[in-house]
Amino acid sequence: MNSISTAIEVAETPVILAPRRSWRFPKTANLIGLILPLAIFALWQTAATFAWIEPVFLPAPAKVARAFWQMLTKQDLAFDFLASVTIVGQSLLYGGLAGVGLGIAAGLSGRVERFFGPTLDTIRHIPGIAWLPLIVLWLGIGAPAKILVISKSVFFPIFLNTLQGIRNVEKHHIELAKVLTLTRWQMVRKVILPSALPNILVSLRYAAGLAWALVVVAEGLSGMQGLGFLIFRAQGLLLTDQLMVCMVVIGLVGFGIDRLMFAIQRGLLRWKQGYEG
Amino acid sequence: MAEKLEIQSVSKHYSIGQNRLDVLSNININVESGHFLSIVGPSGCGKSTLLRLIVGLDDQYDGSILLNGTRIGGTSLARGIVFQDHRLLPWLTLEGNIGLSLENSGWSRQDRALAVESHIELVGLTGFEKNYPHQLSGGMAQRAAIARALVGKPEILLLDEPLGALDALTRLRLQDELLRIWRAQATTMILVTHDVDEAIFLSNEILVMSAKPGRIASRIAVDLDYPRDRASHEFADLKRRVLSDMDFSSNRSEAA
Repeated sequence: MNSISTAIEVAETPVILAPRRSWRFPKTANLIGLILPLAIFALWQTAATFAWIEPVFLPAPAKVARAFWQMLTKQDLAFDFLASVTIVGQSLLYGGLAGVGLGIAAGLSGRVERFFGPTLDTIRHIPGIAWLPLIVLWLGIGAPAKILVISKSVFFPIFLNTLQGIRNVEKHHIELAKVLTLTRWQMVRKVILPSALPNILVSLRYAAGLAWALVVVAEGLSGMQGLGFLIFRAQGLLLTDQLMVCMVVIGLVGFGIDRLMFAIQRGLLRWKQGYEG
Repeated sequence: MAEKLEIQSVSKHYSIGQNRLDVLSNININVESGHFLSIVGPSGCGKSTLLRLIVGLDDQYDGSILLNGTRIGGTSLARGIVFQDHRLLPWLTLEGNIGLSLENSGWSRQDRALAVESHIELVGLTGFEKNYPHQLSGGMAQRAAIARALVGKPEILLLDEPLGALDALTRLRLQDELLRIWRAQATTMILVTHDVDEAIFLSNEILVMSAKPGRIASRIAVDLDYPRDRASHEFADLKRRVLSDMDFSSNRSEAA
């Protein structure tokens, strides 16, 4: 008896995926990614060597490297760099906490969302740069004004994505939480937040890039320190080599921030099975 | 009158604008403790709705549903349910998913860990404790869902087409597993299914429902000894009866 079911004892073979490396950076992808930067560098070098563009406007890579060394040892590049990074770090912290916090509150309660909605939607449409002049009048040209403006700018993408992430929680999962008699707090912790986490992390990654870009603008517009200040000062003094040092540093740091956020995202979302190209 | 589920003249309707849609009409069922009851019927006969009422996800109905003489209100760990989709939370490991059932059990951490471990073993998933749902096959995920529903030692386990989305072979295998689990745990089980073979293979009694409005068309006791032979004459006779009650022509039933 039961001949079918005994014959299929082995039918169901488990599927186990290979454990994922926490920091995946395959050699081939690495090399592919280097081709374009090297080509651009070569073009730059060639253009400088043959003086296609006047050296005042396009200094050679070696000159930029020397300027970098000089700025690092004789001037305060490290100090200015630190000033910019500190502003970005604090802005992300404050804007992120407020965005995630208020996003969760509005996501869980329609009343909170309706209370803040009209105000936030209006403030959102006044760009951070438009706030800066007034804030500078209040707080002066130092770091606090910039931190406030950048916090405001990163707050919105984080707030809106957190809210949307919570709104996207699957109804089935909420139903499951009810079946398992989870309390509201347990449901938030075990179901709603993990479910919204991918959205929140994407917005944090985006916000980190945004904050880094904005700090350069804000420092250029007001204040006497930071990479943004250096870049505009260099333009004024026609020190294109220093200007390009700042640009390269800004680009590389931005790249580093993005990779860091991506690694954090990957680490926290190991449970998620996605298309990895 | 210990551990008994009584469904007394339960009716349910939805109002869509001016129209009234009757989903369930005057349902009366008694399920003795430890029984295995199957409910079969065409789509739209309200069998899944009935399970939602029993599990406590929906309390908008007329009549009463009593468990051990007490009217049920809301969900409770005394009533577990397995859905057609496994509904495992993708961010929790197998252990974490099953353990989630015990959040409010009031058991000690150690008791919970033991219960989770033994139920993973019960459904044959030992070794996969740390796996995430996307690393499990459909059949394994559904076993995990069964373990999650059973781990809190419910008095009643409701099964809403739990094997409906699986391939034929996995399905047969899990029917054996369900039978084994039911006999080992002596939990009352109520299974909603489209599969008449499954209902006959597993249950003590089959309720045939008909649609518009959903009502009980017939009750058929299944008195065959376990484990049942799907190819026996008695099995085929019962199947013919169930199918004819479901408004199938009896000649087509052999082919099915």
